[in-house]
Order: sequence, then structure tokens, then C-alpha cells
Amino acid sequence: MEAYLEGRIEAFDALYDALAARVRRFQLSLCRDATLADDLTQETFLQMHRSRRTYEPGRPVTPWVFAIARHVYLMHRRATARRLRFEATVAADARSDETMHDAARVLGDADEVRHALRDVPADQRQALLMHHVHGWSFSEIATRLGIRVNAAKTRAFRGMRRLRNHLR
Amino acid sequence: MKDSGAKENVRTIVERDLHPVRPLWPPSKRALALMPLALAIVVGVPVINYFRPDFDTLGFFRGWGLSLLESCAGLAIVALGLRESVPGRVLRIAALVTAAVVGLAIPLVVLRATADNFNLGPKSWSEWRYGMACFRTSVLAATPILAASAFLTRRAFALRPVAAGILWGLGCGLIADAGLRLYCEFTSMPHVMLEHFGAVVASMLLGAIVSSAIAPPSRPKDGSRARRQP
Repeated sequence: MEAYLEGRIEAFDALYDALAARVRRFQLSLCRDATLADDLTQETFLQMHRSRRTYEPGRPVTPWVFAIARHVYLMHRRATARRLRFEATVAADARSDETMHDAARVLGDADEVRHALRDVPADQRQALLMHHVHGWSFSEIATRLGIRVNAAKTRAFRGMRRLRNHLR
Repeated sequence: MKDSGAKENVRTIVERDLHPVRPLWPPSKRALALMPLALAIVVGVPVINYFRPDFDTLGFFRGWGLSLLESCAGLAIVALGLRESVPGRVLRIAALVTAAVVGLAIPLVVLRATADNFNLGPKSWSEWRYGMACFRTSVLAATPILAASAFLTRRAFALRPVAAGILWGLGCGLIADAGLRLYCEFTSMPHVMLEHFGAVVASMLLGAIVSSAIAPPSRPKDGSRARRQP
């Protein structure tokens, strides 16, 4: 480590060879993701390089390196949490925009439907609305209007066809 | 590491930036380097203002002696804060809490050892404005050593900057209080707690804020980070 502080790259190589596998295992035990553990191991060595002056000569290297490794992991976790929070906010914003657009579309569609319904003959419109909007059965409609069930079906069917054609 | 490209990647970045560096002194040695400044504060506060009226009756130990002991305790806590800012030498939570509690108790213990009665000065807690000079003087006196400690922390790599700042802020507050007690003779609890003890707590909080503000980023600003080899 002293040689590394003096600026010798071979010392860094030796340090890397001695510690990289252990640091990677440590990171893997924390993050449980092999690819991420590799990234965090690289980041640990870079961080170690940036803060190499904080190593006190004569003291064991391992606790120093592992403290940095743990810090790197915690920073990563914090950054990930921050990113996820940000993404969740963005997604929530997008959802809220979508809801607004949906509502506008529904209102617009409703206007269009109302307009098209005006062109459907009154008897067909009545059967159509009773069946498709109010959910009545054809026999209930027939009883109510005093017509046969088949006539109720036909009126609702023709009304729907006219409405569909108008909306197309 | 399985990926040999990763080593080459890191090595390239390290090699580009590799130059000899002088390792930091041990925390105790760095704290000792602050001793002249601490002594200047302890002596400077009463000399610049005035010595408390009962200074002569206190005697050497209850006067200078306790102040020197308090400032030494302050320096020891600063040393703990500097130690906290070195990777691999962080304190355990129990040690951290003990140091903070002991540090905060010191001004009260020193007051108890100095005064026989505690009714000199403002009697009511609502009179906090009276004697605000003590709070101001203490915080101002702590500022130079706070700045020096912040500089020393900045050169290290505090993994828990707030904890480090709390410790060295508390130490600096104690050093300032050691000078302040030679200048202010008030012993009433409202005054001592709000002005003297309050200044130590303020210094501690200031340390925490400054330390977290100056903590080096975990990554360089240019974003140079090793990328995995495809």
C-alpha cells in the first residue's frame, strides 16, 4: 500500500489482485447480482484510488478497503432508491395526464354519440337505449312498449346499425 | 474477478491519475495540530473581552485548570471526529453516543465544579435575550477551529459526514466554552443552559451541517467511472 501511495502502478496491480475477488464477493453478498457486483467492485477500486491519501501507513488495508466498498454499495443503493422515486413520480404524472386525456376523450365521444342518436328514428332509439343503456331484456322491452319480442329485437338492432354507421 | 477487462479498465483510469500522495496524519496528530488554535481561543476570549470578576477568587485549578481540561476534552472529541472521517476507522454507535453525551455533560460538570450556587444572572427562562452576548461570543470563538476542523475533514473521506461533524463540532464548542467560562461569571440555569450549553449544541449542529456540506462526492463530478467491457 505504501508503494501505491508513492505512485507505483505495480503496487496497484498487486493490491487489485489480492483484494478484487474478496471485494467482489463482499459486494455480491450485499447486492446479490453478479453484474452489479462487478460494477461495484470497479467503483470500489476507483473510490479507493481517489481517497488513497486517507490510508494510514502501518494500519491493516482490509478494513479500509471494505469500509470504502460498503460505502460504494450504500451510495449505489441510495442512488437507485432516488432514481426509482423519480421514475415513480414521472410515471404517476404520466398516468394522471393519461386519465385527463381519457376523460376528455370520453366526454368528446359522448357528445358524438348523443349527436348520432338524434338521427336514429325514435322507436329504434327507444329500444336501443332500453336494451344497451338500461340493460332491459327484449321481453321486458316488448311488454313495456306493447310489441312483440322480435319487433323489439329488430328495432334495437336497426337502431344500433344506424348509430354505428353514423359514427363511422 | 472473472472479467479481466474490468481490471484493465480500472487500471487505465488509475494509471492516468497516479501520482505520489502524502498520507494524512493520524487523527490524534491532526487534532494536536489544532492545539495552538485551541489555546489561542481559550486565552483569547477573556483577554479580548475581560476576565470574570471572581476570577482571582477561583484559584488556578478552578480557573485555568478546568478550562484547560475542558479544552483538552474538546480536542479529544475533535480527534474522534477526525478519526470518524477516515474509512475503516468509524466509531461504533455506542461509542459515538457515549462521546456525545460525555461531551455535552462536560460544560455542566465544569460549572458544578466552579460554582457553589447557581443564582447569579438571569433567573427566568424568558430572559434569554439578556446575556445573548455569551452565545454570540462562544459561537464566534468556535468559528476558527470549526473552519480548521472542516478543512481537515475535507481532506479525509468521511463515510458518515454528519456523525463526524457532530463530534468535531461538539469538540470545537467545548473549546470555545472553555474560554467563555473565564469571561462569564453567570451561573443561573436559564443563562447557562441557553447561552453556554446552547452555544455548544449550536456548534455541534453547525459541525454536522458543515461536514455534510463539504463531504466529498462519492464520484467525481466529471462522471469518470469505469465501464464494463462488453
